Amino acid sequence: MPVSATNWADEVDGEDQPQTFTDANGITTTIEYRTNEDGKKVKVTRRTQKKLIHDVVNKAVAARKKWPKFGKEKGNRPGPDPATTNVGDNIKLKLSSTGDVVQDVDEKHEAMKAQLQNKKILCRICKGDHFTTKCPYKDSLGMEDAAAPVAAAEEAAPEEQQTGSKYIAPHMRAGASGPKSGDRDSMREKRDEQPTLRVTNLSEDVTEGDVSELFKRFGHISRVFLARDRETNQCKGFAFVSFTMREDAQRALEAIDGRGYDNLILRVEWAR
Amino acid sequence: MRPILLQGHERSLTQIKYNREGDLLFSVSKDHVVNAWFSHNGERLGTYEGHVGAIWTVDVNSSSTLLISGSADNTAKLWDVSNGKCLKSWEFNTAVRCVQFSEDDKLVLIVTEPRMGYPATLQIFNVENSTTETVSSEPIYDFHPEGPKITVAAWGALNRYIVAGRENGSVALIDPKSGEYISTNKVHELTLTDLQMSADRTYFITASKDKSAKVLETESLEVLKTYTTDTPLNSAAIMPKHQEFVVVGGGQEAMDVTTTSSRQGKFECRFWHKVLEEEVGRVRGHFGPINTIAIHPDGRSFASGGEDGYVRVHHFDDDFFTFKFQI
Repeated sequence: MPVSATNWADEVDGEDQPQTFTDANGITTTIEYRTNEDGKKVKVTRRTQKKLIHDVVNKAVAARKKWPKFGKEKGNRPGPDPATTNVGDNIKLKLSSTGDVVQDVDEKHEAMKAQLQNKKILCRICKGDHFTTKCPYKDSLGMEDAAAPVAAAEEAAPEEQQTGSKYIAPHMRAGASGPKSGDRDSMREKRDEQPTLRVTNLSEDVTEGDVSELFKRFGHISRVFLARDRETNQCKGFAFVSFTMREDAQRALEAIDGRGYDNLILRVEWAR
Repeated sequence: MRPILLQGHERSLTQIKYNREGDLLFSVSKDHVVNAWFSHNGERLGTYEGHVGAIWTVDVNSSSTLLISGSADNTAKLWDVSNGKCLKSWEFNTAVRCVQFSEDDKLVLIVTEPRMGYPATLQIFNVENSTTETVSSEPIYDFHPEGPKITVAAWGALNRYIVAGRENGSVALIDPKSGEYISTNKVHELTLTDLQMSADRTYFITASKDKSAKVLETESLEVLKTYTTDTPLNSAAIMPKHQEFVVVGGGQEAMDVTTTSSRQGKFECRFWHKVLEEEVGRVRGHFGPINTIAIHPDGRSFASGGEDGYVRVHHFDDDFFTFKFQI
């Protein structure tokens, strides 16, 4: 990094230079400074990991790869141009033999509908039985408290009673027993109740499958969490395994602790 | 899998096609340009410019030297694949609906629409040696097929037949030497939108607006398999290797799209088991109807082009190849 320059002018100059460094995982980070359309300087950080893949291809295919670009691409550098080629979000193609592909799409919709069926929907503007956002008088009567989240439409009724000037956070409001926050708490409690083991000194190549393979012989496993490096997606060396039965977990702890696995000696202890 | 999004078109896609090795992908849309892409990384090789109307159809020959495109500007153009030069432009009276190279690369089939008093034509041109010599403007055969309008057409095995899909949902076998109908079979209720041959051209798959796709035997036009979905289909393709699947795609009509969410629009590529006629999976991603689907000849990836102007190239994950259908 050339930022250790003595003089501020040098420092500014140095900042404009692209910086490149490679870390221990083989990830190269490139930092560039560019001026965008609005004339503002932006910092562009790119992290790349190079993998060399050998592939045998047809001679004609290899020859075509060397063709110069033409048409609108004429004179452009080889390699995909981000203006025309992008990588989309990860999409899972779940193949199933049971024909349940169709249901899984509409399930969410149905669940949402069922959830709303028992709830009384009340408009905050005209007191009609529709969502506030869908109110036909929205523009004419105006929103009383537009700050309130729209999603909380079903709790509109109690809210009306305590229309004070003071802001009350959604989860503190009367009637808002907080299905969401309550859910989360109960989830955590449930998780805490489960006997969980912490497994450390795992090797880098271990996957969730390996861990559950190793532990499932002792009893039913409810959850396996394997800590992974965010960039390399490799195991960070520890995992949590939750059993449904405490006895199973105890047996697993006694059996696996101190055992060798992938040239390393595993350490298993109760998770806190 | 992470799809590669190709944004080379400003309007909705009409057709995409892989070349024989599958390293190049050609896409045409209503915005007058043909794009050529490297399928493995989505890099654009170039564009073929010259059309002044929406391009409906494209095809590449098996040695990837010639490309033909048919457009609504009443022309079909022959291009040099490697440099984007136009080698020949044929003028017609009406828009070109469908073009295809024959199996031996010597002939091209061009189907034009009936419009403004002009009848539909089905013409066959000789393009042998077209990289070195000038191509004749006169067709070898010029037929005026009677009956319903032909929407899609393809060559059968060994150039013995031309298979045509028509507006009334029927498929017809045409003799390429006389232009006579050999046989017809009304297999769909509504218009055919796509017709793709299997690798050996002994059977083909059709997609129709009547929400179903069917696999038919070429020789007899007998329906072998039916895949019934819940949405009008615009395209269907057969997976050549690794898995016995077909991929179909569509979605509700483009003009109705704004009135529904993309979830209800059913803009997904659906994977069906070819033999057992069971749906096995879906790939979502488009936010408009899917107009065209093509599968890489090695069966390791596929691409879909939508009304939204995007081409999405999907390379299958490893678990796709190990999947076994449980009965």
